Parts: sequence; C-alpha cells; structure tokens
Amino acid sequence: MAEGSATRVWGMRLMYLALALALIFAKLIPLDFQPQAWAGPDLLVAFTFAWVLRRPEFVPALSIGLVVLLADLLFLRPPGLWAALMVLGTQALRNRARNLRDQPFVMEWLAVAVVFLAISVANRLVLAILMVPQAPLGLTIIHMMMTLICYPVVVMLSQWVFGVRKAAPGDLDRLGQRI
Amino acid sequence: MAKDKSQAEDYLAPLKRLLLGVLVLCLVGLFLVWRIDSPRVERFRAAVVDRVVPSFDWAMAPVTATVNLVRDFQSYQRIVQQNQDLRNELQTMKAWKEAALQLEQENARLLDLNKVRLDPRLTFVTGVVLADSGSPFRQSVLLNVGARDGIVDGWATMDGIGLVGRISGVGRDTSRVILLTDPASRIPATIQPSGQAAIVQGDNTAAPLISFLEDPDLVRPGDRVVSSGDGGVFPAGLLIGQVATDPGGRLRVILAADYERLEFLRVLRNPGTEVIRDPGALVAPRQERLTPAPLPADGATLSETEDSNG
Repeated sequence: MAEGSATRVWGMRLMYLALALALIFAKLIPLDFQPQAWAGPDLLVAFTFAWVLRRPEFVPALSIGLVVLLADLLFLRPPGLWAALMVLGTQALRNRARNLRDQPFVMEWLAVAVVFLAISVANRLVLAILMVPQAPLGLTIIHMMMTLICYPVVVMLSQWVFGVRKAAPGDLDRLGQRI
Repeated sequence: MAKDKSQAEDYLAPLKRLLLGVLVLCLVGLFLVWRIDSPRVERFRAAVVDRVVPSFDWAMAPVTATVNLVRDFQSYQRIVQQNQDLRNELQTMKAWKEAALQLEQENARLLDLNKVRLDPRLTFVTGVVLADSGSPFRQSVLLNVGARDGIVDGWATMDGIGLVGRISGVGRDTSRVILLTDPASRIPATIQPSGQAAIVQGDNTAAPLISFLEDPDLVRPGDRVVSSGDGGVFPAGLLIGQVATDPGGRLRVILAADYERLEFLRVLRNPGTEVIRDPGALVAPRQERLTPAPLPADGATLSETEDSNG
C-alpha cells in the first residue's frame, strides 16, 4: 500500500513537470505576432496553486522553482524574481492547505486571490525599486483577473482529468499514516 | 496517530525550511546578479533558449502548421469575395508596375550619368521563425539562425518589404529579434518627403509612436518612414512604414512589414559604417599641413575612392 502510493506521488510529480512544460510550449507557439489589447490567463500559476492546495506533496518547492525559472528565462522576464515569489507564495498556501481543506471553495478562491495579488504587488514593487522597465499596469491587471476567473476551471480540470483531489478522511500518506 | 505524525515532522520541518530558504536565496541571487551584470545573465538566457526551444521544434512545427491550416480553411469560406478583391488589386498593381518600370529605367540612367556606386556589401541571412515571446508584455520572435551563421547583436531584420526589428540576444543556433512593437524598441528614422529625423518608439501596440520629431507640422499622414542610419546602428533607407494619426492626435507608424504572418525573416549583414577620422586629408595634401599627423589606413583608402569617384 505504502509503496503503491509512493510511486503515485513520484508519478504525479513528473506529471506536474510535464504539464508545466506543455503550458510553456503552448505559449511559445508562433501564431500571433500582433500586440494584443488584453492578456490571457497565466495557467501555470493557476495549476500550481490548485495542485498545492489539493496535494502539496505532488508539487515540491524545488520543482516549482525550476519550472517558473525556466518560464522566466524563456518569456524574457527578469530571471529569478517571479520564481522566488512563486515559491514563497505557494509556501504560504501550503501552510494553509490543511485549514482550507474543510472550507468551502469560495474561501480557497479568496486565499488564492490574496496570495496572487500579494506576490504580483511585491513583484512590481521590487522592479520599481530596482528601476527595471515594467509591463503596463492595465495589462497586468487584466492578466491577474483572467487568471483568477480561470481558476475554478483549472481546479475542475485538475480534479477530473489529472485526479488531483483534496485528501479525504482515511487516505494514507507516503509513510502509511493518516493525512 | 496524529501525534506520531507531528513528531515525525518535528525533525524534518527545520531541514525542509532550510532547503526552501536556500532555494529562494539562489533565485533572488540570480535576479540580483541579472540586475547588476545583465549581459552575462542574458548570455546565459540565450544559451538556455538555444538549448530548449529547438528541442520543442519537432512538436511546435506540426501544431503551428495545423492551426494555420484551420485558419486558411476558414478563409476559404470567403473565397469568392477574396478572388474579386485580388482581381481589383491586381489591376491596380499592373498600373503601378508600369510606373515602377519606367522609374527604374530612369533611375538607372541617372545613376549611370552620375557614376553612383551602391553599397554592395548589404547582404542578408534568412531565418525561420521558431517561437514568439510567449508573453503578452513583450514582442519578440526567435529565429533559427545564430552565432554559427555569423549573426551579431544589433543587426536589422526585415521581412520581404519592411523593417521588422533588431537582433538582441544571440545563441549558437538561435537568435532573438526584438520587434518594432516591443516597449524596449527605439529606432532612429527619417520621414521621407520632409526629411525630418525622429525616433520610432514601440509601446506594445500594433502601430509604434513617432517621438522626438522636430516640426510635426511638416509631417502628414501617409508620409514614408525609413530608417536613418543615425548612430551607425542600422543601414539607412530601410522602409519602416507610413505615418498615421491616432485618435489622440499623436503620430504613429503603420508598419510596412506584415506582422500577421512572420514566417521567414532576413537578417541584414551590417559591417558597420566607415568613419572619416581625418578631415584634413580630404581637403589638402598631407605635406602642406603645419603639424603632420600620421594618416590612418582607412583614411588613405577613403581618399583614393574619393578620387576615382570624382
């Protein structure tokens, strides 16, 4: 039983990496070269948050850091900053995951919104202090709103397609103990 | 049970927290190094892109092709309309072609009369677009030519007609083109009939702004905007687009390059503009100068060509 669940955990960790690579790949496809008036959702952030709140053990901080760092490098963002903020943000959610497990979905959505807002503001503040040229504010706000609107869809996808559910009472963890 | 678990976590938790701290410190450190010594980290970024994106290419090409196929299929629905439009355009084009031929002959005659030599060194390397910037905030594309093909930072990139952007970031097999629409793009330009100098400044919209214009009254919508070669960065005379006025009354450039479909791009080899360092040598013979200065080799060849041209 314990071994079976250990392989599942490692499988899902690899699944997270594969999913992240697929999302990055989908964004890099050269289809649209015109600047757009609106920005699409950041699915990588939404999936990471959804998985951290459901099964923290599937998304260790190291894999989040590496995946977001790769995205930073490929998407021409300042390398490292957003990755560091994502690691800190997911850690904040990870600490609240046990409490949020019994709460209704709206509370979870609110927590995700607060954390995402906090790390976005921190990102802009650090960039402003170090005088790095920034993306326009309006576009960033649309980007955040789209990400938060898409969050429930991402949660549904995670649950039904990838089978990432909240741990139910009676589930066993890696060491064969109750979660 | 719960007590056991909390005891197991007691000795694991500080270790985990330590590793987490190290991870965050590494990432923040990378960011600070980037801020302090940006060229080095940008070279690292180019190397990572060089390694990662071509390995995606086997999957990216069919997906891109499929989506473009579907888009083409959608356009088949309007095929009769399009056919009609194309016929009309062809008719107009024929008139222009006639005018162009006459002008070309006239131009050739005039060039011949004046013994003008065009710069023969402006050759180009053609690359295929591999990927776009992937972010709504930056406008760039990745080409499949790089340092291996002799690409150098700062060279101009065109599609068949107009300027598209400049090379910024060269890996071994790939290079990044910052498009004219990117917020970081600034190109010195001349506005054609009036000869006014200006800067074409990208701002993440489809039509970049014209700024630092001396006298806006001399510029009309529809004027041609070409690169000016100021600062020795770009070759002069590459077509950028046409002037237009936006609803706010600011002047913008409607780009000549087809940004809807960037598939093949030309990177112009630019060996750099020759600098005339010694003005005295062109005006008077060297012996008559009061304080004879050693003549640089460039100056000597330059004055020779001047003689043969004259």
